[in-house]
Amino acid sequence: MATEVLMPRQGQSVESCIIVAWKKQVGDSVQEGDVLCEVETDKATFEVESPVSGTLISVLFEDGDEVPVLEQIAFVGQAGEEPPVSGAAGSAEAGPDATKGSTDTPAAGADPAAAEAASETSRAAADTGAQAAAVATRSGSGDGSGRVFISPRARDRAERAGVPWQTLEGTGPGGRVIERDIEAAIAAGTVATRDAAEKLGAGAHAHAAGSGAGGRVTSADLEAGATVADSTQEAGTATGGDGSVEADPGTTRDRSTIETKLAGIRRKIASRMLESVQNSAQLTLHATGDARALLAYRARLKAAGVPYDGISLNDMVLFAVSRLLPRHPALNATFDGAAIHTHGAVHLGMAVDTERGLMVPVIRDADLRPLASISAEARRLAGACRGGNITADEMAGGTFTITNLGAMGIEMFTPVLNPPQVAILGVCSIEAKPVLKKDGSVEHIPSMGFSLTIDHQVVDGAPAGRFLKDLSESIAQFDLLLADTGFTGGAS
Amino acid sequence: MPRSLTVDPKKVRKAGAVSVPEIPVNAYSRTLKQEQKRYGDDVLKRVYYDMLTIREFETMLNDIKTQGEYQGVAYDHKGPAHLSIGQESAAVGMCVNLDIEDFIFGSHRSHGEILAKCYAAVARLDEKQLESIMKSYLGGDTLKAVEGQSHDGVRDLAENFVLYGTLAEIFGRMAGFNRGLGGSMHAFFAPFGSMPNNALVGGSADITVGAALFKRINRKPGICIANIGDASAGCGPVWEAMMLSAMEQYRTLWPKDVGGAPPMIFNFINNFYGMGGQTAGETMGFDILARLGAGVNPEAMHAERVDGYNPLAVADAIARKREILEAGKGPVLLDTITYRISGHSPSDASSYRTKEEIELWREVDPIVSYRAMLSENGIASDDELNAMQDKVVAKVTQALKLASDLDVSPRPEASVIETTMFSNTPTDRFGEGEPEVLMPLSENPRVEQLTRKARYAFDENGKELSKMKVYAYRDALFEAMIHRFYEDPTMAAWGEENRDWGGAFAVYRGLTEALPYHRLFNSSISEGAIVGSGVGYALCGGRAVVELMYCDFMGRAGDELFNQMAKWQSMSAGVLKMPLVVRVSVGSKYGAQHSQDWSSLVAHIPGLKVMFPATPYDAKGMLNLALRGSDPVVFFESQRLYDIGEYFVKDGVPEGYYEVPEGEPDIKRAGSDLTILTIGATLYRALEAADELQEKWGIQAEVIDARFINPLNLDPIVESVRKTGKLVLASDACERGSYLHTIASQVNRLAFNYLDGPPAVVGSRNWITPAYEMEDVFFPQKEWIIDTIHEAVLPLSGHTATTVQTDGDYVRRYKAGV
Repeated sequence: MATEVLMPRQGQSVESCIIVAWKKQVGDSVQEGDVLCEVETDKATFEVESPVSGTLISVLFEDGDEVPVLEQIAFVGQAGEEPPVSGAAGSAEAGPDATKGSTDTPAAGADPAAAEAASETSRAAADTGAQAAAVATRSGSGDGSGRVFISPRARDRAERAGVPWQTLEGTGPGGRVIERDIEAAIAAGTVATRDAAEKLGAGAHAHAAGSGAGGRVTSADLEAGATVADSTQEAGTATGGDGSVEADPGTTRDRSTIETKLAGIRRKIASRMLESVQNSAQLTLHATGDARALLAYRARLKAAGVPYDGISLNDMVLFAVSRLLPRHPALNATFDGAAIHTHGAVHLGMAVDTERGLMVPVIRDADLRPLASISAEARRLAGACRGGNITADEMAGGTFTITNLGAMGIEMFTPVLNPPQVAILGVCSIEAKPVLKKDGSVEHIPSMGFSLTIDHQVVDGAPAGRFLKDLSESIAQFDLLLADTGFTGGAS
Repeated sequence: MPRSLTVDPKKVRKAGAVSVPEIPVNAYSRTLKQEQKRYGDDVLKRVYYDMLTIREFETMLNDIKTQGEYQGVAYDHKGPAHLSIGQESAAVGMCVNLDIEDFIFGSHRSHGEILAKCYAAVARLDEKQLESIMKSYLGGDTLKAVEGQSHDGVRDLAENFVLYGTLAEIFGRMAGFNRGLGGSMHAFFAPFGSMPNNALVGGSADITVGAALFKRINRKPGICIANIGDASAGCGPVWEAMMLSAMEQYRTLWPKDVGGAPPMIFNFINNFYGMGGQTAGETMGFDILARLGAGVNPEAMHAERVDGYNPLAVADAIARKREILEAGKGPVLLDTITYRISGHSPSDASSYRTKEEIELWREVDPIVSYRAMLSENGIASDDELNAMQDKVVAKVTQALKLASDLDVSPRPEASVIETTMFSNTPTDRFGEGEPEVLMPLSENPRVEQLTRKARYAFDENGKELSKMKVYAYRDALFEAMIHRFYEDPTMAAWGEENRDWGGAFAVYRGLTEALPYHRLFNSSISEGAIVGSGVGYALCGGRAVVELMYCDFMGRAGDELFNQMAKWQSMSAGVLKMPLVVRVSVGSKYGAQHSQDWSSLVAHIPGLKVMFPATPYDAKGMLNLALRGSDPVVFFESQRLYDIGEYFVKDGVPEGYYEVPEGEPDIKRAGSDLTILTIGATLYRALEAADELQEKWGIQAEVIDARFINPLNLDPIVESVRKTGKLVLASDACERGSYLHTIASQVNRLAFNYLDGPPAVVGSRNWITPAYEMEDVFFPQKEWIIDTIHEAVLPLSGHTATTVQTDGDYVRRYKAGV
């Protein structure tokens, strides 16, 4: 008798998880406690363990599928055993069986009396939130393929309101997304994920972009005209995101052509990326700065040990920018098409590369923080992103973004603006740059590359150039910058 | 059950025996001298000429069908040709003594009868009348095709007109007598008294009863003849027609001045075969068909066998029988024997009869022997007779050339069919004169009683009034009926228990006092003939309302509803109108054969208007509409509704005349969240469901009563669904094949992008109707509607279904065929 493996429920508010990767393949023998697959929610990644020892005889979902919690995802049994039909496993819980009864095999003989038991249906459930009922909702959802069904009316409503319905849990018959689900999503603040919806319902506000699990658009991305056109995504996730077309480089490469339809969120990301480019005049300027002071200071910190050795080169660039931006207010601005908002405070967006795609958490009030504080906050935010417990709040409200591809040896690139911000700084690799000295000899100076994209609609080339020049010089004399309070006026 | 007739046990229990009058067989005995004196030689020669014309016409068609050409004119006719070679004398003999106002109805084998009746009319009418008819018929289209050809005077042209009009009709051409929409088996030419021919065996029998009733009730001259085959004696509707035509009340209860029984002859054209089945000896037991008359009335229907191979014997029989009919002593049955030398159709290999038998009849070929008689007695010379032969061949050849030529005789556009499906000509009165009534309307006891009833179901405080005080659905129907009876002198109503009893559901109570017998009468329990006679009455130009009591009884009138009532307007290319309303009542409480809503069955049949009011306001307004129309209407009522008051129109059901606009659904309750569409009495269960949706879930359901099934304006339904996105449809009709599915499918198509779920149909189970006490397992209940909404459209929070309305169960039911 095969044993079913259920998608575990991770907390009350979690209704579904995405399967990140199967760690075992059908036919593999497994021990009780072996990791079968890795799954993620908006908040966290965790592992699903095999409940028994035996052989993995079937998996019901593929990598990337979103699966309601408590849904069967696999069966472990004896080698060669036929996997049971989904839903027919010998579960002690009444839920799934009862549901099957009501939808597929109604009361024998159609005796109306028998109907009462059989038709203890399901759907109402979605509203009550009772666990058994919730189970029924899910096992009835869609056609078991993991597809999300939606009524034409709800689809139309969703598209008009910009609600990414693919991530909604429908409350219609068979889990169909119906009009009221869209209305509920709109009322909750244009959600994509249920968790986001709940957070927003609780009063949170977010302005990050493309920041949901698996690169999903969250409510925040859709709000107030913010777009997903985040430079870091452009630069870092060419084939990532929702479609997940790129195979793990470590695995055997599949050389066939895979077609991934641009649907839902990915389509939205694509169109907003394009919008970003189409709706702003993006100009990128490149410069380099003498990195010797940075490298020396980094060596010094490293040698100093805890707690200084955690401060990275990137932290130092963040610090430098946080101190320079108040002097270049034209770059620490947002533009809504009608007015330029020049910000006194510096909230630095920083691109974080995670397994689930790039995220842009925001270091609040970076201009007021000492280097150690910036470094600590950057580390904390990056950890939260990688750990999946970043909040919408922590990704909202940036005034300028820094994205760093230096570790990958990128010498220059053209970051894409993250509207409504008017500037984004790309940090490149440190290369030895030949410099002609006065005596005619050539010295190779380690230099850090910078690629600054501005919205030429509202930022002219000269101020951008001045900012880059200032940055290069500040980097070159980083020790002096450290002495700067960062205050150029205004209140904290 | 007239109170004036007493069923006296002393009388009916007395011993005795039934004696049957002698039925003459081939009793014609007149001499040629007598006939020459009676008709004159010209008429006797014309009989030959007419027979020759039919023979040549049918021979031409036979050649076309079997060889693809006639007289060098090639043509491929793909349609039917049921030929009557050998039967010409029966047709021509019948028409010798018929006038233009005498109507003949026929069968699939009636080419000869059309030509004979039309030629007889051409011979009798004066030239002015002939010209006027030809010029006006179908806007002169038929005449245009032939008037350019050489001809010898108006009568000669009229003959060409008849030959061409008939042949073009057979070939399906625009200038045919019925625009090519009738074809070989249905062609007719009403202006000359050649009335619809019928492709259903015996189909003309009950229609002819209706035509004869029309003549009697409206005091019109002329007799009516149903030309039906010997094998049609095996058809139930033919027997029903004989019963209906022979009712004693015509002579005993109807006003004497009306004139007695409907003047009609059941003229069995007895060619001894029904296709290949030999009626005398194989497929029937009557031996001599004329015997059947003995089973119908004490006069044995004045039945006799007539030698149809002698045209003069047939002519004599018709003349003698006309006297009986004009005296009001019909009906008459004639067993006119004849023989079809040609096959049933050109594909008939005559495997069921011998060459020898055919040869025996060839030896007595009526045309050959009649010619010999004319020649031998010096009535016509051989030259004269040969010249007739040449003339006929030339005329038939010319008709073929014209009718087969697509330039001269194009086919009708498809739009001609569409525009003739309904006549859509509201008509207050189909005849002149004062309607015959027995008292002023205001003195009618029921009219008086209704003045004291509340025309809205609630009092001024919103309290529902008792049934006794409320003007009900049945009263609304009554008002519509009596209104039209007092407007249209041609309107007559009949059916089971229509008089005295007042209709089984008391709709007609009060009409007995108001109307003479011939305008409202009880019929034999002959559902086929009740509807069929209504068809005959209506197509002659009178308004008829017939009642079938229970909807379930429509099964007994299938042909009349589906093939006759529905088809004749278009098959006649709009020459005929069909102001016929068939009232049927959907039952309950009476089990499987008395509780079915068959509105979906008639909805499937093109050519019918179908209405089903559910409120008193709609009942009166819709019956008013139906009773002023010119189209056939199947009018559904429900026994759940007869005593229901008006719940919706606050001003109450108007006392005056009004009509509900045709095809318009009505929003009985406005709502924004979900649409429930009903047909019939289910409206009230839908309203209960709407109440519960509102109370428990705050869902505002819009409840729409379709009221009409055909025609139906989908716009208001689509508009509602565009608003609500959700549609549940409910009626008492069995779910499988319910017309609701058709509406649902149209809404899917027209409002797809607005739908939030699939339109879901709630119908009765696909079972028999059980006992009254168990009807809640069979008919849609409030709970079914709610549960269907919950399962298929909009899951309801906290709702626990009490009935099975799941997708899975529908799959199971269909798999099991239940």
